[in-house]
Amino acid sequence: MRTTAAQIDDAPASDAPDMTPLHPALFLPFGAIFGFVLSRAGATTYDYYAGLFLFSDLQLLWVIAAGAATGAVGIAVMKTRKARALLTGETISFVGKPFQRQLIPGSLLLGLGWGLAGACPGTVLAMLGEGKLNALFTIAGILLGTWLYGLFDRSAGANGR
Amino acid sequence: MDNLITWAGWVGGIGVGLVVILLFLTTGKALGVSSAYGEVCGMAGQPVYQRGSFSGPKWRLFFALGLPIGGAIAVLTSGISWVPTWDMGTLYPSVLPASIWARGAVLVCGGALIGVGARMAGGCQSGHAITGMALLNPPSVLAGGLFFVGGIVSVQALFQFLG
Repeated sequence: MRTTAAQIDDAPASDAPDMTPLHPALFLPFGAIFGFVLSRAGATTYDYYAGLFLFSDLQLLWVIAAGAATGAVGIAVMKTRKARALLTGETISFVGKPFQRQLIPGSLLLGLGWGLAGACPGTVLAMLGEGKLNALFTIAGILLGTWLYGLFDRSAGANGR
Repeated sequence: MDNLITWAGWVGGIGVGLVVILLFLTTGKALGVSSAYGEVCGMAGQPVYQRGSFSGPKWRLFFALGLPIGGAIAVLTSGISWVPTWDMGTLYPSVLPASIWARGAVLVCGGALIGVGARMAGGCQSGHAITGMALLNPPSVLAGGLFFVGGIVSVQALFQFLG
């Protein structure tokens, strides 16, 4: 604990431009770890999606609940310690996504699609990696939907960050 | 196909939560996936996604490209061989069309709802339901709850009318 505190004190004082931005390709292994864990969690298995919404098998409810809870504990600890990201030295920002006008209808539409396709934008990519070819249709659909949204987005925000 | 090793739900959830923590702690980034699809649309020429946080290729796209690698590793470490398959388990095939192309049309529609919805909501299951709820962010908790409402409606309807 002392060492951590010392490291934090030694870190450069300015939050500034001397920080090298991380190369985007660095995130590939992180994605691979996430894909692996999603698969082990059962989030790439179609039956668990149907089971979740039919209330016959709550595997994925546990995944989401335990995932959010674990994340919440870790974030609380990092917040208290004003943790800096190990690879950049920058203080980690824990600001959540803002409420936006279309959040309610958008969330409902996403939910309808979630049940219909039995997948999420992340898990469907891991499914493809497992060799589940139906994922190709769903991925094409998500790209189509994202594109269509772009046609109607007047605020130039494309909603997200 | 589903001789995949699967952990108990709560164990898998802890794993997912640890990945969220790992990403924050090493890179300072909030885990999320759906924006990567926006980056792809931007690169393919959709102007809305050529500005701001979507002008790719950025980290989210590479993170997303890592997901299939993880899926493949999960198969190969399950003691089974990697074989492409059209298998969807037992439940969905009992309500979806049997022909691959008709089923594919349903999945494209489902995917399109996910794509439009994620942009309207500002994130998907990973960004809102996992990371957002871990941040105890009220809009994300609302979004996460509504995702469930939508999922329950579509799956209950599917199995009610076609099951």
